[in-house]
Order: sequence, then structure tokens, then C-alpha cells
Amino acid sequence: MNGFAKVLFLSSLLAAMVIAQRASFASVDDAQSFALQAAEPYVKQGFQVREDYWGGDLASGEKKAVRQQLFKGNEYWFWLGTEVDRAKVSVHIYDSDGKLAEESDSWEKGHFAAAHIIPKTTGSYFIIVSVEESPEERTHWALVYGFR
Amino acid sequence: MILFSKHLKLTVAAVCGLALYAHGAQAPQHINISQLSTTVEDVVVPLPNEIFGALNKLGAVNWKEHVRSDKGPNFTERPRIALLLGAVIADGFIAVQAEDAPAVKDIGQRVLALAKGIGVGNSITPHAKAIIEAADKRNWENVRLELDRTQNSVQQAMNEVHDEKLSQLVSLGGWLRGTEVLTSVVKQHFSNDGAELLHQPDLLSYFQTRLKAMPEFNLPIIHQIQDALVAVKPLIDVGNAHIPAESVKKVNEITTRLGTGIVTRD
Repeated sequence: MNGFAKVLFLSSLLAAMVIAQRASFASVDDAQSFALQAAEPYVKQGFQVREDYWGGDLASGEKKAVRQQLFKGNEYWFWLGTEVDRAKVSVHIYDSDGKLAEESDSWEKGHFAAAHIIPKTTGSYFIIVSVEESPEERTHWALVYGFR
Repeated sequence: MILFSKHLKLTVAAVCGLALYAHGAQAPQHINISQLSTTVEDVVVPLPNEIFGALNKLGAVNWKEHVRSDKGPNFTERPRIALLLGAVIADGFIAVQAEDAPAVKDIGQRVLALAKGIGVGNSITPHAKAIIEAADKRNWENVRLELDRTQNSVQQAMNEVHDEKLSQLVSLGGWLRGTEVLTSVVKQHFSNDGAELLHQPDLLSYFQTRLKAMPEFNLPIIHQIQDALVAVKPLIDVGNAHIPAESVKKVNEITTRLGTGIVTRD
């Protein structure tokens, strides 16, 4: 192997190691930074984004329910994100009777999703998060919310 | 005409398809909550200002009369410090609603002292500084943000050293103080919408479960809170019915008594 080939081989090896290390160190915190990225434009509209958040990992097709107390008079957005950019995620909001309670401007875009609600009553609501598709066996997710 | 109609139908179908694509898969209109096969995660306890924001929308509130910034006693028992810390952070949100800069600054100092007392002062110092600076500039949005960060950092620091129970007491202290002020405001100017803000039975059950798992915190104030939650539950767990003025008054009496207990030495 000549000098140039050796440098090229070592560089490729180093790059592969860095990528592998990044993948192994990916965490819920990374997912949270994507959820916060989705929330960013709404802060300018006066939404206060909570520091607290939910997170974990899910397999493709798996769902998780989060119960949350919401107050009539406030308006809420829930933002879901994952660091796996080829994953597809979704988030939906149901009231305590199991009825879909979100506004029609809720959206899903690849590894981001958001659900909007103006609660008609004060009480418990269920936020259902799901990893619809993912190339990974387990996909980190994080859900943040904001209100105004 | 038939051609136009066909064209129109195709266009409508295409537009609907695009809208569907942008929105993603349609969510079912109804799900069976009782048969949720997925695990239900714990609630994130709402911040007091989440409730205060909803309260503000019902009419002007004289927040100044609810501001409390007195230094209070120093406790040595960590559960007592945790409860008080939560209550003092809630006081910070009240002082922000009242736009009372001196009170916010005093509360910032108090939060720092309490956090040090519980061993998590280091993670709070930058937030306490930011609270005081933002209060000086009367930048209320930043004060709110830093109060939220303070509570989050305190709880994260506690969780890291496996003090999750103390972290839950911080949330409980804040919730009790928030409920005390909420009921005080609604009691003065009663409305069904105001009283409905008390409809938090799942949150109350959450605190009850957490307190049951703290037998090692054998303190009078903890027992008083446990008894009080039992008394409050039927007053706010009314399903679709309205919460009457009498119930609001009773919850206010209970939470005011607990609030005094939290800030007073036994």
C-alpha cells in the first residue's frame, strides 16, 4: 500500500469509527434536541416550551401513551422528534373518553411530528406517540410541549 | 360539463391526497383508553404559571395580593426543604404575574439558599443569577423561563443522585402552592370556568401514589398532605359536573392550611 492509499484507508477507518461512535452514543437527549427544533418556530408565536419532557425508545409500529393534565383556556402544541432522520413518527391527542381531540393543523414530517390542541375541558388527555417506520431496531423519541 | 365535472373531481381528489400526505396517516377518531396496550407514562406536573395563564384569561387577577417573598425558616429535614423549594418556585411565578421585581429577586436568592440546603446548589447558581438579572431588566419572559429551568435542574440533579422522591416533593410543593392561589382567586370571583381549572383528579392520584411510596419520610407535614389529598379528591373528581363554589372554598381552606404548614417550623 503506498503512502496516499494508507492515509486514505486510515481516514476512512477514522470516519467510520466516528460515525459508529455517534450512532452508539445517540440518545434521548439527541431526540429531544430535534423535538425542540420542531418547537422553535412556535416560540416566536408566544408559546412557552416546558423544560421537562418525556422520552424513550420504540420499535417500528410501537406506540406509547403519555397522560397529561391540560387546562381549558390554554392552547397547547406537543412536538415529537427523533435523531433517526429516515424514521417516520406521529403524535396524536385524545381526550379521557378516547376521542381524537387535536386541531386539524397538527402535522407529521418524517422524523418530526406535532399535535395542536385547544382543550374544550380541563382534565386528563392522552398523547399517543408512535414510531411508524424506522431503519433502526429501536428508535429514540422525545416529546416536548408548549402552551400559551 | 361532464368533462369539467370529471376534471373537478380529479382536482379535488388530488388536493385531498396532498393534504393527507402533508398530514401523514389519518389518526383514528376514537381509541379505547381502557384497553391501551401501551404503557402509560407518568404525567409531567404542570407548572403553576400554566394554571395562572388559564386563570388570567378568565379576567383580571390582582396578583400583587398573592405575592409572598418572606424569607421563612430554615429546615434541616430534606423532605421539608424540597416541599418548601417547590412552593418558593411557585411564589416566583406569582411574583412574575404581579411583575414585582424586588420580590422576584428575593425569591431567586431564596431558591438558591434552599437548593444549597438540599445539596443541589451548584446546578442552580446560574439560573438564580439569570432570574435576578432578568428581574432587574423586567424581562418577565426570561424570568419565567429561568424559573422553569430552575425547577428542572433541581429535579434532574436530584434524580441523578437517586433522590427521585425529593424531586417529586418539589413538584408537590409547587402544585399545592399553585392550587392555594388558584382557589383563592376563584373563591373571590367565582365562575364555573375558573372552578373547572381544579379538575385535576389524575394529578392528585399521581401525588397520592408517590406519597404512599415514601414511608421513610415520617414527618407530620407529609401525613397532613396525605390526609388532605384524601379530603380534596371527592371535591374535584366530579366527572362532567361543575365544581361548586363551596368545594372551591373547602379546597382553599385545606391548601392554605398546608401552605402555612410547609413554610412554618413544627
